[in-house]
Amino acid sequence: MYVKDIMQTEVISVKRGTTLTQLLNMFKSFHSFPKVPVIDNDGILLGVVHIRSFFEIFQPHNQDLLMRNPLSMISREPADIFNIDIEDGMGFLVIVADIMDTKVVKVNQNADLKKAYDLMQLHNRDSIPVVDDQKKLVGIISVFDIVMKIFKEKGLV
Amino acid sequence: MNIILGMGIILVFGLLSGKLAEKVKTPAITAYLLLGIVFGPFALGIISEHIIAVSGTISHIALSLIAFSIGQNFSGKIFRQVGNQVMWISILEAVGAWLITLVGLLFFKVPLYMALIFGAIAAASAPAAIIMVVREYKARGQFVDILMGVVALDDAWGLIIFSLSLAISKAMYLDLSSSIGNVLMGAIIEISGSFLVGGVLGVILSRIGLFLKNQTDLLIWTIGVIFVATGISLHFHFSVLLTSMFLAAVVVNLNNESFKFFDILNHIDWPIYLIFFVLAGASLEIDLLGKIGVIGIVYMIFRIVGKFAGTYLGAHIAKSDDDVKKYLSLGLLPQAGVALGMALIAKEQFPQAGNIIFTTVAATTVVYEIIGPFFVKLALHKTNQIHN
Repeated sequence: MYVKDIMQTEVISVKRGTTLTQLLNMFKSFHSFPKVPVIDNDGILLGVVHIRSFFEIFQPHNQDLLMRNPLSMISREPADIFNIDIEDGMGFLVIVADIMDTKVVKVNQNADLKKAYDLMQLHNRDSIPVVDDQKKLVGIISVFDIVMKIFKEKGLV
Repeated sequence: MNIILGMGIILVFGLLSGKLAEKVKTPAITAYLLLGIVFGPFALGIISEHIIAVSGTISHIALSLIAFSIGQNFSGKIFRQVGNQVMWISILEAVGAWLITLVGLLFFKVPLYMALIFGAIAAASAPAAIIMVVREYKARGQFVDILMGVVALDDAWGLIIFSLSLAISKAMYLDLSSSIGNVLMGAIIEISGSFLVGGVLGVILSRIGLFLKNQTDLLIWTIGVIFVATGISLHFHFSVLLTSMFLAAVVVNLNNESFKFFDILNHIDWPIYLIFFVLAGASLEIDLLGKIGVIGIVYMIFRIVGKFAGTYLGAHIAKSDDDVKKYLSLGLLPQAGVALGMALIAKEQFPQAGNIIFTTVAATTVVYEIIGPFFVKLALHKTNQIHN
């Protein structure tokens, strides 16, 4: 059984240039903010936006670089989201490229299900984007998809 | 007091002092250092001699983890991401601080092997102190972006400069009568040995890492390989810093998901750093403070001159704005953790001179941590990065 056999193919993705306001409007009716893949014009996967990405708005630029120096300890402190300044126009000025996480764990659609599951366990992720051989986004697979598959086989669903 | 109780007390009070430091807007590392002085043999004496005796092992572990994390900057992707300005300025301000402090101290009759070490330590800066000011004033703009990039990278260059300087200094110190050829040969063996150990283990860490299936195994494997690299490096008298940095550089360039090896350490590294800095404070020989006057002042002044000259030159080559040329070096003055780590290595390597180096750097660290943030704020004001 391969990833492409059970992955979700209807995926909401955004572009690098999607603004903060557009992003918030897209997901305001969701129960919680999902992991949203970011793609370029050719559909190539560039990164992921997740709930912690919003904290990047309150951090200085190059924060990801600073995180590589363990002694910049202050940067490990969570952002003080109750005490923030939002400047006029920030909703349009901040774009997805500014906040997306480029540390993406992805899996090829032709990979074995076990490999996808192991990757998610190793990286402590509940879901990961699926790409084709050209690194284009083709779906998302989650632990839930795999659990459902097993439960179906056992006749529970 | 037994070692476990000592470590427990250090961790508990370290946490409290870190929180207290946050209230008075001081980086946690400075608080740990001061706590070490208070707990150390020169004050309360809570940290006994046999706890300080294990500080060498803790230092090597802490420094190898620090160097491993900083080493992940050496990837083509990062170099492209930071851009021309950050690259030129970060390299030249680090080299500038090294060279000018070295020459300045030689002028004041400090021996070459000591001046080399002081120069190398001058290259380091303190990201935490700088970020703290940027955050406090909610500073934003192109100047801040460049400053953050430079601060992120300059410790990486600093560690390389320090490792090379240390290799040369050690070769000179061990045999003061030896020729330049012998000194260089000793240094080359140390450096190439570090690259070899780091390189081979980097490939092994990365390749076998592909077969791991959960976070616990990943953590054990990563720490295990770092310890093996550090241990081999110590055994053959190679550079622990260079070995760990090269280990990281190989991993980051071989593996698309290399961040897993670095992120996994975030769960366990901070308690080690805390103990490391408290023990550093405890091993400070307070009675030497009176003897560092001239060296300390010369070190501080020439470091500032070196940072300014290097930044100016780097900004000139990269065709940066006048604001960057003139004021960026003001934002680079705070100094803390990495410099102290380097000084601790010097203390271990050079029995007498090392104590002077460590005490001087510890004392100037406290001064830099007090005056540094003021200059960062000044730089942000002058370049209109503070909008309110």
